Amino acid sequence: MEQECADNSVVLCRSCDLVISKRALPSGVRALCPRCHTTLYDTPYCSINGMLALCLTALLFLLPANVLPVLELHFLGSVRTTTIIEGAMAVSNQGYWIVGIAVLVSAVIAPALLILSVLFQILIIKYRLNSPFFRDILKRLLSYQGLLAQLSMLEIFMISILVSVFQLSDFADIFLGMGTFCFAMLFLVTLFLQREYNLEHMWGVLDE
Amino acid sequence: MSDLNNKTQGITIGLTPCPSCGKLSVHSDIHCNRCGKALVMRDYSSLQKSWALLITAAILLFPANLYPITMLVNRGQIRHDTIFTGIVHLVESDMFPIAIILFTASILVPLLKIVGLTAYLLAISFRLPISKQKLMVGFHIIEWIGRWSMLDLFVISITAALVNMGQLLDAKPAPAATAFALVILLTQLAAKVLDTRLLWDRLESKDDAN
Ligand SMILES: [Zn+2]
Ligand SMILES: [Zn+2]
Repeated sequence: MEQECADNSVVLCRSCDLVISKRALPSGVRALCPRCHTTLYDTPYCSINGMLALCLTALLFLLPANVLPVLELHFLGSVRTTTIIEGAMAVSNQGYWIVGIAVLVSAVIAPALLILSVLFQILIIKYRLNSPFFRDILKRLLSYQGLLAQLSMLEIFMISILVSVFQLSDFADIFLGMGTFCFAMLFLVTLFLQREYNLEHMWGVLDE
Repeated sequence: MSDLNNKTQGITIGLTPCPSCGKLSVHSDIHCNRCGKALVMRDYSSLQKSWALLITAAILLFPANLYPITMLVNRGQIRHDTIFTGIVHLVESDMFPIAIILFTASILVPLLKIVGLTAYLLAISFRLPISKQKLMVGFHIIEWIGRWSMLDLFVISITAALVNMGQLLDAKPAPAATAFALVILLTQLAAKVLDTRLLWDRLESKDDAN
């Protein structure tokens, strides 16, 4: 029994440990655990070249999104701008460094590492770098992938920018600049990248 | 495969998935042969860890809501706002959509997260006959929506960086910001460390299929 099941014929639900026999799925469909509705697996859908293109596009927007101001405020003749990092610094300087670190990690560091990590994974797979050295790197990158995806909160920061715009426009003039555009693009491209990406499928590559 | 019914768990047929990469291994293995991570059948200590994180978060929820989270200097006048008074102020200035977004992200979500996780952990610890399916669906919602609480902190950081014209107009974070950040961190961790399979093991013995 054990030998029979240790192949790919069954899956275990990671939330409730139910044994489910694996079936082929039509593309774009997810299999859910019948007992607790956790996603079990979905059809491998990631095209390596598509992800590479998304990764490179994301990289293109990464630097301007973090260096250019995301918001600009005009108030009684004076102009204030801020980048994400300056926002994190502003709260840190007031003594709220835990908040500063949270902002920095979830809106700058984790998304950047996520994109770079996916890029390296794709390059290793695309160019079939099969030496133990590269396989080890791939393993490490994959095991941190889930954590990075959880820490990266570009979508929430995007909404925060909009909320700030509405809040501040009450008493000052707010301008969106090139930085806002680059950040919005970074958010969109990363969103598509994460949709295309399938961690289970990437682990599967190591079995081949 | 004939003895697979809709209740068979991995633990009874001698299989366990790798906590990192998900590859199935037999119980006798110590490490996953794909990624090398140590295999655990059930992480029983995760229940205690989760309780500890959750209780700390629940305690911090009080300072996070009772102390001011922002401070605004407007033409020499200083105004402190807690999460709640800030939202009330938004409603008064007719910014309902923003008020609803912030109310959901800053008050509703943290509260639901703590209540939901408490119900989940109580059901495991005291074998309460709460529907397992409902608990699990609630758990998935908590996992997905929990991160949105960060919204308020992002807004505070943007505002603090933009609005700094000295005595004229100056927005700053206030003590509750740190407490609130810790509430988010601790509740997310409490959900993440918990081995949810414990719920399904323990209640299985009480013969409730839900
Ligand atoms: Zn399940
Ligand atoms: Zn593994």
